[in-house]
Amino acid sequence: MLLMMSVLYVQQAAAQRQNHKEYADSKISDCNSCHKAEGIAPNHDGDWIRNHRTLAGKSGSNCAQCHDQSYCLDCHKGGGINADLTLDTFGRDYVPKSHRSDFVNLHPIKALDNPQTCYRCHDQKYCTQCHDRFPKGSLRIKSHLPSGSGQSFIWSSEHSTEARRNLQSCQTCHPEGDVCLRCHSAKSGPMVNPHPKSFKGGNISSRTNKTCRVCH
Amino acid sequence: MGLNRVGKALTAALLLVTGTAWGAEINGRSSTQFLWYNNEFTENRVFEAAEYLRVGVTKIDTAGKLSFYGYGRAAQSIGEDYDTTARLYYFYADYRDLFDKVDLKMGRQFVNNSAGSAIIDGLQVDLKNVGPVGFTLFGGRDVVFGLSGEAGYAWNTDLGISAYLTDMKKTDAEISWLRKFVKGDTARDTIGLSAKQYLLNSIKLYGNARFDLVSETFNEVQGGIKYFPTSDLVFTAEYYQSYPTFDTTSIYSVFAVNEYQEGVFRIDYALNDRISLNLGYNRQGYGEGAAANVYHAGVGIRPVDQLKLNVEYDNRQGYYGSTNGVIVDADYQINKDAQVSGGITYDVYQRDTLTNDETARRYWIGGKYRFAKNMALSGRIQEDVNARYTENVSGRLTFDYDF
Repeated sequence: MLLMMSVLYVQQAAAQRQNHKEYADSKISDCNSCHKAEGIAPNHDGDWIRNHRTLAGKSGSNCAQCHDQSYCLDCHKGGGINADLTLDTFGRDYVPKSHRSDFVNLHPIKALDNPQTCYRCHDQKYCTQCHDRFPKGSLRIKSHLPSGSGQSFIWSSEHSTEARRNLQSCQTCHPEGDVCLRCHSAKSGPMVNPHPKSFKGGNISSRTNKTCRVCH
Repeated sequence: MGLNRVGKALTAALLLVTGTAWGAEINGRSSTQFLWYNNEFTENRVFEAAEYLRVGVTKIDTAGKLSFYGYGRAAQSIGEDYDTTARLYYFYADYRDLFDKVDLKMGRQFVNNSAGSAIIDGLQVDLKNVGPVGFTLFGGRDVVFGLSGEAGYAWNTDLGISAYLTDMKKTDAEISWLRKFVKGDTARDTIGLSAKQYLLNSIKLYGNARFDLVSETFNEVQGGIKYFPTSDLVFTAEYYQSYPTFDTTSIYSVFAVNEYQEGVFRIDYALNDRISLNLGYNRQGYGEGAAANVYHAGVGIRPVDQLKLNVEYDNRQGYYGSTNGVIVDADYQINKDAQVSGGITYDVYQRDTLTNDETARRYWIGGKYRFAKNMALSGRIQEDVNARYTENVSGRLTFDYDF
């Protein structure tokens, strides 16, 4: 792909990329006027926070010409050396504006707005460390609620659908999946097969010899 | 990493630099902070002193190729939740232009390619000026920050390789590979693709994909177009999908999951130097009929040079619950040295496990005063009123010193 593009756009090689170091203190509106004149999309616009990943995440990006790594890590890893007055903290860690108002209660909904977003800053262990501090069963999760006034739970009818839609949230409170294995292990219980239709078990067993043995 | 190790590392580095490089330039920032907040787990009030230090040491050698960069935080809380913590964000040596073809970074650093990102204790090598394609290789111990201290295992490792176009002004393309090892096993194996193309002086096409070699599915796919008829007006349309993947060492890697999909439409318009607007709509699909609609509107106004106002409204309706809220921020520059700011966040939300709407309100006010070109004092105080607290006051006082 890279070679093909090299051939297709060989004429661009003469138009080398601009080094932006000397423009680090320019006004964004000046940057964007220049960009437009060159046929380059304005960036650092109103959509920049949501959209910067594609440009900043690749190797060889030119972010470092204006920003040092603290600029990235303050937002992604809770640092506060550049914090402006609008920023809030969760404990000692600074948080971006996406963590609005009562984020402890709001995050189950907000985490669904692109479920991968949380993992761009937090390892799954972070979720578990927090949820571990709550007694099991104390959280209000739809599939875990009682059904009517009896002893039955919504769980039995809805947990599979909920788990398929948001399996990462199950891992938050059940990091070892022990509760899943009561029914989904091939060793005991109802032995319900949890694998997807196109399951590539060989790809897992060739990388680790532990996971398959949990159930088999 | 304990406070001792961070302190020793920073001290040793500074001694090394000051002892061997008399011509070096040292710059950075010290930020001394006092914070008070409510411990969400113990419900105790916490008073904490924190020291952030960011240092760059450049021009160590005559050619100016070697530099050191470091950034860390040490914090000490007092009261019932007595605690001492430290976090070293990065600390690396940067050697540029070796044989005019190689850049090296060694130490703790933030690395990324189109397949993923990580903080590592290790090495990054960039190979450049070898034609239209550049190459980057990184590898090292995976660093994970938890609630307090580091949460990863000592020898979890990340390894990444990427090849990318370097010299084309209107075209970007990268292919990369990222492997993560957990306790000696290969936990993740991901191929990343990233591309960008400018067309007709007013169109940008962009995309990113991550292919998981274990499940043989695309973990993430993103493709979008931006149309910018002027430098002040940008239309965005984007498609995104993701398929949850897990470490192979996790039992969750064997479970069936649904694909998540979303479509984003957005307009960003700066009417003039005083007013900017943005509107967005996001359609989300979670599989098996579950969906949500998210609407966003924002406006930034500068009625006079000294005053900035920002208002953002968000509304989400659909699967798992609804949120409806507004954020208002105001910033007034009294003079070149002093500013005051304040804001309100008001959210009404309902999770599908709740029967009624809940309301969360946040009020905050802050100010900053610059004593000198390199010294500033700032403070912020905040009150939260929500389903969990009838009153929850937190704040901070910060002294920044640039050197």
